[in-house]
Amino acid sequence: MPGFSSAVMKEVEGIFQRYPRKEHALLPLIHLVLRENKGCVPEEWDQVLADMVGVSLNHVRGVITFYDMLQREPRGKHHIRVCTSIPCGLCGGDKVLERMEDALGIHAGQTTPDGMISLEEVQCIAACDKAPLIQVDDHFAQQVDPDRVEEVVAAMRRK
Amino acid sequence: MLKETLLLAKNIRTDGYDGSLEAYRRAGGYTALEKVMKSMTPDQVIEVVKASGLRGRGGAGFPTGMKWGFIPKDRKPTYMVCNADEAEPGTFKDHFLINNDPHLFLEGMILGSYAIGCNHGYIYIRGRSVRPAQRINEAIEYLYKAGLLGKNILGSGFSLDLTVHRGAGAYICGEETALLESLEGKRGQPRVKPPFPATHGYNACPTSVNNVETLACVPFIVKEGAEAFKKIGTPNNYGTRLVGISGHAAKPGIYEVAMGVSMKQIINDLGGGVRGGKKLKAVIPGGSSSNVLRPEEIDIPFDFDSVAKAGSMLGTAALMLFDEDTDIVELAYRTILFYNHESCGQCTPCREGTFWLRNLVRDFRENLGDSQKLERIGRVSQQMFGTSLCALNDAAAGPIKAFVTKYPEEFKKHFI
Repeated sequence: MPGFSSAVMKEVEGIFQRYPRKEHALLPLIHLVLRENKGCVPEEWDQVLADMVGVSLNHVRGVITFYDMLQREPRGKHHIRVCTSIPCGLCGGDKVLERMEDALGIHAGQTTPDGMISLEEVQCIAACDKAPLIQVDDHFAQQVDPDRVEEVVAAMRRK
Repeated sequence: MLKETLLLAKNIRTDGYDGSLEAYRRAGGYTALEKVMKSMTPDQVIEVVKASGLRGRGGAGFPTGMKWGFIPKDRKPTYMVCNADEAEPGTFKDHFLINNDPHLFLEGMILGSYAIGCNHGYIYIRGRSVRPAQRINEAIEYLYKAGLLGKNILGSGFSLDLTVHRGAGAYICGEETALLESLEGKRGQPRVKPPFPATHGYNACPTSVNNVETLACVPFIVKEGAEAFKKIGTPNNYGTRLVGISGHAAKPGIYEVAMGVSMKQIINDLGGGVRGGKKLKAVIPGGSSSNVLRPEEIDIPFDFDSVAKAGSMLGTAALMLFDEDTDIVELAYRTILFYNHESCGQCTPCREGTFWLRNLVRDFRENLGDSQKLERIGRVSQQMFGTSLCALNDAAAGPIKAFVTKYPEEFKKHFI
């Protein structure tokens, strides 16, 4: 069974202190799993998490399947999110996604075979004045020109 | 020419302001907290907020002082939860405050916590906003060091801890009871109400859930008094709004205006009108949940009551402009796609209704529409209204119904 390192366990103890019940700390603990596992929650973690916070396996699975960010498959080294909601979708976001899929040779929801870049189509990421918007890892790129997508991807590949 | 009225964005608009604790204090920050800790009781804080007429900035516009007044005084613990789960398409005002001046809403949150007797508050922020969450955590760290958080704040005997809780990508968690479920480590599905959070909220304790922008108004009200706040805005709609202009605007961005100024002026004077000299086709005034307005309907005061009277909603004051080239069917499709994706699936009318509306609008998008389908969109959305536990259902049905009612000609273009 997987588990946290002793350094991370210290963080876990600190998190438990901040909630009246252990089970309330489930999401913060899942975020730690994401951080330690390339942005995904592998299934073998479900029971570990259930035991740590004292809930059933079903409870943990119910939570993991509910939230968009909680995926089972590992992400690429870099993760690109493209917003196609309103207003981004009507300001060129759909074209940005199309070009991105072409440039990477994958569809949204997939990772490049070399494991470098994963692509996700997302709903609003709260910076709508800069539409169309993409998020590369934790950084925003604003007013993305669909014609420049290939350059962006090439630059990321070089990194 | 309409100008901004700076109340919340005053610091942010000052050259060289970096939002640090030092800069915030230099600009007069935390003097409201000092005043309250020295000379005001919790009830007095609630009274002044009640007297100011402050209404919630998250979307519903519920009076904040009244919300705090509902918290029973004889039950402990009580909780203050700040809703920073901003995720409504078109809305980015809370992130504007968090990124540029985090101490403003934090001071408001400390004041609110004191008012309702809360000793541990939670800030629920959306999971994808990694940097903004870091920004708040750093600000909180400085507050602990400065003795403005933790035990015995400024020697008053009042203690408060604040914890940032990250969501994991679910729009529905912006609904206050879904947020509380999520905070408790569960699926973020709205609760049956009553009981309301004021009596049974977080961990079944009395809880007040307040939006970032709402809390950011509190330091001014406490410091300058209710009357000073009421000098801004119109009766029953006091104060300012952070208006987020996006879409095909020439100058998209956040602008702070007194409530009740003309929406047309906000669009033209601040937002610069439509970019590229194009004509305006549609305006969504308060985030994707509010009904679309036609260009001839926008000459109205921009406040809760006037926008509601025009058949829409001030909501999050997220003004989205769409130019003459916009395909309204595409706009409707993006809207319903969002709600279909974000419906939590708990209530059948919402889960199924958003699915059927999505399919119907998609048919038009693929030029497979006909008059029966147009009528069916109206009928399905009508059947959805008021049939679920939370407002997401209505927020999906309302705008779609408005698109087909106000722009039937656009849908007819997509008939087979």
